[in-house]
Amino acid sequence: MNDMRLTEKVVTETAKITARGVQVHYGTNHALKDVDVDILDKTVTAFIGPSGCGKSTFLRCLNRMNDTVASARVTGRIEMDGQDIYDPRVDPVQLRAKVGMVFQKPNPFPKSIYDNVAYGPKIHGLARGKAELDEIVETSLKKAALWNEVKDRLAAPGTGLSGGQQQRLCIARAVATSPEVLLMDEPCSALDPIATAQVEELIDELRAQFSVVIVTHSMQQAARVSQRTAFFHLGHLVEYGETGHIFTNPTDPRTEAYITGRIG
Amino acid sequence: MTQSHILSAFDRDLESIQALVMRMGGLVEAAILDAAEALETRDEEMAQRVRAGDKAIDALEEQINAECARVIAIRAPAASDLRTILTVMKIAANLERCGDYAKNLAKRSMVLSQMAALPGSTGSIRRMAKQVTLLLKDALDAYIARDARMAEDVRQRDQDVDQMYNALFRELLTHMMEDPRNITPAMHLHFIAKNIERVGDHATGIAEQVIYLVTGQLPGEARPKIDSTTAGGQGA
Repeated sequence: MNDMRLTEKVVTETAKITARGVQVHYGTNHALKDVDVDILDKTVTAFIGPSGCGKSTFLRCLNRMNDTVASARVTGRIEMDGQDIYDPRVDPVQLRAKVGMVFQKPNPFPKSIYDNVAYGPKIHGLARGKAELDEIVETSLKKAALWNEVKDRLAAPGTGLSGGQQQRLCIARAVATSPEVLLMDEPCSALDPIATAQVEELIDELRAQFSVVIVTHSMQQAARVSQRTAFFHLGHLVEYGETGHIFTNPTDPRTEAYITGRIG
Repeated sequence: MTQSHILSAFDRDLESIQALVMRMGGLVEAAILDAAEALETRDEEMAQRVRAGDKAIDALEEQINAECARVIAIRAPAASDLRTILTVMKIAANLERCGDYAKNLAKRSMVLSQMAALPGSTGSIRRMAKQVTLLLKDALDAYIARDARMAEDVRQRDQDVDQMYNALFRELLTHMMEDPRNITPAMHLHFIAKNIERVGDHATGIAEQVIYLVTGQLPGEARPKIDSTTAGGQGA
C-alpha cells in the first residue's frame, strides 16, 4: 500500500490485537465472515460500514461480549499480546477489565458519581484502601476530562449529569480499571456536537495510553479521530488501512461508494 | 464513479461546478484562437474584445472557487468527490492563467499592428495557438470522461508545442540578426510564442490533474521535454 503521509505518523506499528479467520454466526445468520486484522497499539482504529455490516459484532468479539449472546458462535483466532483470548483458561471478566467498553447510550449505574468510577477497581481488587481508591477515581475522572465539573459533587447521582457528562463518566469508569484496550460502540451518537468534540478530544488523549477501537456511523468522526480505518460490508472486512488513505483514495470500489455516500 | 449519490443535491452541486469549468474552458479556447487571429489579421477590434473578455474568465474562476468552498463546507466530500473538488480548483486556476496569456497576446497584437509585419511569424503563431487550444480541449474532454489515457496522451503531445516554439524561437532570432529594426516586433512575437507554449504547459497540468482524479496519484515519471532554447546557452 502506498504511504500517503496524510495523517500524523502512527506512533507504533506493534499489533496489540491480532485476529485471524474470525467468523461469527448468530444461529443461522452468518454475521462475520473470515476477518483478518491487526489492531495496533496506542492507535485509534475506526470501524465503519452500514448497519448490519458486522462492525459491532466484531468489536464485541474483542472482549468476548458475544459470550453473553446464547445463539452466537465465534470461530477463528483472536490474540491479545500473543495470548488467545478465547482460551478456556481466560476469565472473560478479567479480560473485560483489560479490554474496556463504552456504549452508544451513556449507561451510568444508579449510584453516585464516585461509586460509578470506583465500582470496577473495587470488584477487581485494584485498590488497597480508601485513599488509593480516591486516587483512582480522581485520576480516572481527570483522564475523562470530567474532574473539574464534578469534583464538588462526587456523592451526587451519576444519572443526574448531562448526556455528555454521563458519557464521559462511562469513559472514566472504563478507564478506572487501567485497561489496555478501549472499545467504543458509537460513543457520541447520543451526544450534542460540543459533547462530541469533548469526547473526540478525549479519545485523542487516551491513545497515548491505550489502543482505542471505535465503531462509528459518522464517517467524519472516523476521519477526525482515527489513524486506521476498517470498512466492513455484509460481514466482510472490505478494506483496512491508514485513515488518510481510506478517505482520499480507497482501493476497493465498495469503500469508495460507501464513504462518498453512494451505497447504504 | 458514475453511480449517483444517495443525496441527489450533492450530484447537482458537482454537475453545476462541472458546467462552470466547461464554460470557462470554452471561453479560454475562444480567447486564444481569437487573439491569434487578431494578431495575424491585424484586427484591433477583435483584440480589444479578447482583452475585455478576460474579465468574464476571471469571474468564472472566482465563482468556481466559491462553489467549491461551499461544497467542501456543506457536503464534506471524500475520496473521488474530494479529488474532483481539488482537481476542479486547480483546473480553474490553470484556465485563468491561460486566459491571462490570451489577453496578453491580444495586447501585444495591438502594438504589433502599428509596426511592419515580420513575414511568416504570425502564421506560425496562429498554428501554434490552434495546437495548444486542441490540447486544452482534449485535456478538458479527458476530465469530463475521467479518461486517464487520454490525459496521458495530452501530456505526451505537449512536446509538439515545445517543438513549434523552438522552431519559432530560431526563426525570430534570425530576423533579429538580419536587421536590428526587427528586434522590437520579434521580441513581442517571442513573448507571444512563449506565452502560447506556457498554455501548453497548463494543458499538461490539467491532464496531470485528470490522472490524479482518476487514479489517486499524480503521474510519476517526468514527461518528455524538448526545449533546445535553454540547452545551448542561447536561452530565452
